[in-house]
Amino acid sequence: MSALLTGSAPVLAELNRVLTRKLTAINQYFLHARMYRNFGFEALNKHAYKASIYEMKHADALIERILLLKGLPNLQELGKLFIGEEPEEMLQLDAKVQLADIQVIRSAIGVCEQAQDYVSRELLSEILEQQEDYLDWLQTQLDLLKQLGQSNYLQSKIHQE
Amino acid sequence: MYVCLCKGVTDKTIRQAADDGVTSMRELRALYGVGSQCGSCTSCAREVLSEHLATRQQKFQQLPTLPIAVCYA
Ligand code: FES
Ligand SMILES: [Fe+2]
Repeated sequence: MSALLTGSAPVLAELNRVLTRKLTAINQYFLHARMYRNFGFEALNKHAYKASIYEMKHADALIERILLLKGLPNLQELGKLFIGEEPEEMLQLDAKVQLADIQVIRSAIGVCEQAQDYVSRELLSEILEQQEDYLDWLQTQLDLLKQLGQSNYLQSKIHQE
Repeated sequence: MYVCLCKGVTDKTIRQAADDGVTSMRELRALYGVGSQCGSCTSCAREVLSEHLATRQQKFQQLPTLPIAVCYA
Protein backbone atom coordinates (compact mmCIF):
# COMPACT_ATOMS: atom_id res chain seq x y z
CA MET A 1 0.00 0.00 0.00
CA SER A 2 2.65 2.49 0.97
CA ALA A 3 4.68 1.46 -2.07
CA LEU A 4 1.79 2.65 -4.19
CA LEU A 5 2.12 6.10 -2.76
CA THR A 6 5.80 6.46 -3.47
CA GLY A 7 6.46 8.76 -6.38
CA SER A 8 8.66 7.67 -9.23
CA ALA A 9 12.08 9.30 -9.23
CA PRO A 10 11.53 11.18 -12.52
CA VAL A 11 8.20 12.57 -11.26
CA LEU A 12 9.74 13.71 -7.98
CA ALA A 13 12.61 15.33 -9.87
CA GLU A 14 10.17 17.20 -12.12
CA LEU A 15 8.02 18.34 -9.19
CA ASN A 16 11.13 19.68 -7.49
CA ARG A 17 12.26 21.37 -10.69
CA VAL A 18 8.93 23.18 -10.93
CA LEU A 19 9.13 23.98 -7.20
CA THR A 20 12.52 25.68 -7.65
CA ARG A 21 11.06 27.86 -10.39
CA LYS A 22 8.11 28.74 -8.15
CA LEU A 23 10.31 29.71 -5.22
CA THR A 24 12.35 31.89 -7.55
CA ALA A 25 9.30 33.53 -9.12
CA ILE A 26 7.79 34.35 -5.71
CA ASN A 27 10.76 36.60 -5.00
CA GLN A 28 11.05 38.11 -8.46
CA TYR A 29 7.38 39.08 -8.67
CA PHE A 30 7.33 40.31 -5.10
CA LEU A 31 10.31 42.60 -5.56
CA HIS A 32 8.89 43.87 -8.86
CA ALA A 33 5.52 44.51 -7.16
CA ARG A 34 7.06 46.68 -4.49
CA MET A 35 9.31 48.44 -7.02
CA TYR A 36 6.21 49.34 -9.05
CA ARG A 37 4.61 50.67 -5.89
CA ASN A 38 7.70 52.66 -5.05
CA PHE A 39 7.65 54.18 -8.56
CA GLY A 40 3.98 55.05 -7.99
CA PHE A 41 2.42 52.47 -10.31
CA GLU A 42 -0.11 51.02 -7.92
CA ALA A 43 -2.03 49.08 -10.59
CA LEU A 44 1.11 47.22 -11.65
CA ASN A 45 1.98 46.56 -8.01
CA LYS A 46 -1.37 44.90 -7.52
CA HIS A 47 -0.92 42.45 -10.39
CA ALA A 48 2.66 41.53 -9.62
CA TYR A 49 1.82 41.07 -5.95
CA LYS A 50 -1.03 38.75 -6.81
CA ALA A 51 1.21 36.79 -9.17
CA SER A 52 3.73 36.34 -6.37
CA ILE A 53 1.05 35.02 -4.02
CA TYR A 54 -0.11 32.59 -6.72
CA GLU A 55 3.43 31.30 -7.08
CA MET A 56 3.51 30.73 -3.33
CA LYS A 57 0.24 28.82 -3.40
CA HIS A 58 1.60 26.65 -6.21
CA ALA A 59 4.80 26.07 -4.25
CA ASP A 60 2.71 25.02 -1.26
CA ALA A 61 0.72 22.53 -3.33
CA LEU A 62 3.92 21.10 -4.84
CA ILE A 63 5.57 20.77 -1.43
CA GLU A 64 2.58 18.84 -0.10
CA ARG A 65 2.46 16.62 -3.17
CA ILE A 66 6.18 15.82 -2.98
CA LEU A 67 5.87 14.95 0.72
CA LEU A 68 2.88 12.73 0.03
CA LEU A 69 4.95 10.89 -2.58
CA LYS A 70 7.68 10.38 0.05
CA GLY A 71 10.05 12.77 -1.62
CA LEU A 72 11.95 15.66 -0.12
CA PRO A 73 10.85 19.09 -1.31
CA ASN A 74 13.96 21.11 -2.09
CA LEU A 75 13.48 24.54 -0.60
CA GLN A 76 17.19 25.19 -0.62
CA GLU A 77 17.72 25.76 -4.29
CA LEU A 78 16.77 29.07 -5.82
CA GLY A 79 17.29 30.21 -9.39
CA LYS A 80 18.61 33.53 -10.55
CA LEU A 81 16.25 36.50 -10.24
CA PHE A 82 15.71 38.67 -13.30
CA ILE A 83 15.06 42.11 -11.86
CA GLY A 84 14.44 45.01 -14.22
CA GLU A 85 15.31 48.64 -13.64
CA GLU A 86 12.18 50.25 -15.07
CA PRO A 87 8.58 49.08 -15.69
CA GLU A 88 8.97 48.03 -19.34
CA GLU A 89 12.03 45.94 -18.60
CA MET A 90 10.38 44.49 -15.48
CA LEU A 91 7.36 43.39 -17.53
CA GLN A 92 9.62 41.91 -20.21
CA LEU A 93 11.66 39.95 -17.69
CA ASP A 94 8.55 38.64 -15.92
CA ALA A 95 7.14 37.54 -19.28
CA LYS A 96 10.41 35.80 -20.12
CA VAL A 97 10.48 33.96 -16.78
CA GLN A 98 6.81 33.07 -16.95
CA LEU A 99 7.17 31.67 -20.46
CA ALA A 100 10.10 29.51 -19.36
CA ASP A 101 8.03 28.34 -16.36
CA ILE A 102 5.26 27.29 -18.67
CA GLN A 103 7.64 25.25 -20.81
CA VAL A 104 9.05 23.50 -17.74
CA ILE A 105 5.54 22.74 -16.43
CA ARG A 106 4.48 21.35 -19.81
CA SER A 107 7.40 18.96 -19.94
CA ALA A 108 6.78 17.97 -16.31
CA ILE A 109 3.19 17.13 -17.25
CA GLY A 110 4.57 14.81 -19.93
CA VAL A 111 6.77 13.02 -17.39
CA CYS A 112 3.82 12.55 -14.99
CA GLU A 113 1.73 11.21 -17.83
CA GLN A 114 4.41 8.68 -18.72
CA ALA A 115 4.73 7.57 -15.10
CA GLN A 116 0.92 7.31 -14.93
CA ASP A 117 0.88 9.74 -12.02
CA TYR A 118 -2.39 11.35 -13.02
CA VAL A 119 -2.84 13.25 -9.77
CA SER A 120 0.47 15.08 -10.15
CA ARG A 121 -0.40 15.72 -13.77
CA GLU A 122 -3.73 17.21 -12.74
CA LEU A 123 -2.05 19.43 -10.15
CA LEU A 124 0.43 20.70 -12.75
CA SER A 125 -2.36 21.28 -15.27
CA GLU A 126 -4.17 23.50 -12.80
CA ILE A 127 -0.97 25.43 -12.15
CA LEU A 128 -0.36 25.72 -15.88
CA GLU A 129 -3.74 27.31 -16.43
CA GLN A 130 -3.03 30.10 -13.97
CA GLN A 131 0.46 30.55 -15.43
CA GLU A 132 -0.95 31.02 -18.91
CA ASP A 133 -3.38 33.62 -17.60
CA TYR A 134 -0.59 35.66 -16.08
CA LEU A 135 1.61 35.36 -19.16
CA ASP A 136 -1.35 36.59 -21.21
CA TRP A 137 -1.73 39.60 -18.91
CA LEU A 138 2.00 40.37 -19.18
CA GLN A 139 1.96 40.15 -22.96
CA THR A 140 -1.12 42.37 -23.11
CA GLN A 141 0.73 44.98 -21.04
CA LEU A 142 3.70 44.87 -23.38
CA ASP A 143 1.40 45.26 -26.40
CA LEU A 144 -0.41 48.18 -24.76
CA LEU A 145 2.88 49.78 -23.90
CA LYS A 146 3.91 49.65 -27.54
CA GLN A 147 0.57 50.95 -28.81
CA LEU A 148 0.05 53.75 -26.30
CA GLY A 149 3.66 54.73 -25.82
CA GLN A 150 5.45 54.40 -22.53
CA SER A 151 4.22 57.60 -20.86
CA ASN A 152 0.54 57.12 -21.77
CA TYR A 153 0.66 53.52 -20.69
CA LEU A 154 2.33 54.29 -17.39
CA GLN A 155 -0.08 57.14 -16.68
CA SER A 156 -2.91 54.61 -16.81
CA LYS A 157 -1.13 52.55 -14.15
CA ILE A 158 -0.79 55.21 -11.49
CA HIS A 159 -4.12 54.54 -9.85
CA GLN A 160 -5.43 51.24 -8.75
CA GLU A 161 -7.67 49.75 -11.45
CA MET B 1 18.48 44.68 -15.65
CA TYR B 2 20.25 43.81 -12.42
CA VAL B 3 22.64 41.07 -13.46
CA CYS B 4 24.10 40.82 -9.97
CA LEU B 5 21.43 41.53 -7.42
CA CYS B 6 23.66 40.97 -4.40
CA LYS B 7 25.95 43.78 -5.49
CA GLY B 8 23.43 45.82 -7.48
CA VAL B 9 25.33 45.59 -10.75
CA THR B 10 23.36 46.12 -13.96
CA ASP B 11 23.97 44.91 -17.51
CA LYS B 12 24.72 48.52 -18.46
CA THR B 13 27.51 48.69 -15.90
CA ILE B 14 29.02 45.49 -17.28
CA ARG B 15 28.88 46.75 -20.88
CA GLN B 16 30.39 50.06 -19.85
CA ALA B 17 33.15 48.17 -18.05
CA ALA B 18 33.81 46.16 -21.20
CA ASP B 19 34.02 49.41 -23.18
CA ASP B 20 36.53 50.61 -20.63
CA GLY B 21 38.73 47.59 -21.17
CA VAL B 22 37.46 44.87 -18.84
CA THR B 23 37.70 41.49 -20.57
CA SER B 24 37.29 38.89 -17.82
CA MET B 25 34.99 37.82 -15.03
CA ARG B 26 37.93 38.10 -12.66
CA GLU B 27 38.22 41.81 -13.38
CA LEU B 28 34.44 42.28 -13.09
CA ARG B 29 34.50 40.65 -9.71
CA ALA B 30 37.44 42.71 -8.53
CA LEU B 31 35.87 45.97 -9.71
CA TYR B 32 32.20 45.50 -8.81
CA GLY B 33 31.99 42.34 -6.73
CA VAL B 34 29.96 40.58 -9.44
CA GLY B 35 29.42 36.97 -8.37
CA SER B 36 31.21 37.39 -5.05
CA GLN B 37 28.23 36.80 -2.77
CA CYS B 38 25.68 34.14 -3.75
CA GLY B 39 27.31 33.38 -7.10
CA SER B 40 24.04 32.77 -8.95
CA CYS B 41 24.75 35.62 -11.40
CA THR B 42 28.08 34.28 -12.67
CA SER B 43 26.86 32.63 -15.85
CA CYS B 44 24.53 35.51 -16.68
CA ALA B 45 27.31 38.06 -16.13
CA ARG B 46 29.71 36.03 -18.25
CA GLU B 47 27.11 35.93 -21.01
CA VAL B 48 26.54 39.69 -20.96
CA LEU B 49 30.28 40.35 -20.95
CA SER B 50 31.25 37.95 -23.72
CA GLU B 51 28.31 38.99 -25.88
CA HIS B 52 29.30 42.62 -25.60
CA LEU B 53 32.97 41.88 -26.25
CA ALA B 54 31.96 39.90 -29.35
CA THR B 55 29.86 42.77 -30.75
CA ARG B 56 32.67 45.20 -30.07
CA GLN B 57 35.11 42.92 -31.86
CA GLN B 58 32.75 42.70 -34.81
CA LYS B 59 32.36 46.48 -34.95
CA PHE B 60 36.11 46.98 -35.00
CA GLN B 61 36.50 44.48 -37.80
CA GLN B 62 33.93 46.33 -39.87
CA LEU B 63 35.73 49.66 -39.49
CA PRO B 64 37.50 50.81 -42.62
CA THR B 65 41.17 49.98 -42.42
CA LEU B 66 42.21 53.30 -43.92
CA PRO B 67 43.88 54.79 -40.82
CA ILE B 68 46.07 51.70 -40.47
CA ALA B 69 46.99 51.84 -44.18
CA VAL B 70 48.07 55.42 -43.62
CA CYS B 71 50.31 54.24 -40.81
CA TYR B 72 52.05 51.80 -43.08
CA ALA B 73 52.50 54.31 -45.87
S1 FES C 1 23.66 37.95 -7.61
FE1 FES C 1 25.75 38.29 -7.97
S2 FES C 1 26.69 37.46 -6.23
FE2 FES C 1 24.58 37.17 -5.82
FE1 LIG D 1 5.38 31.21 -12.87
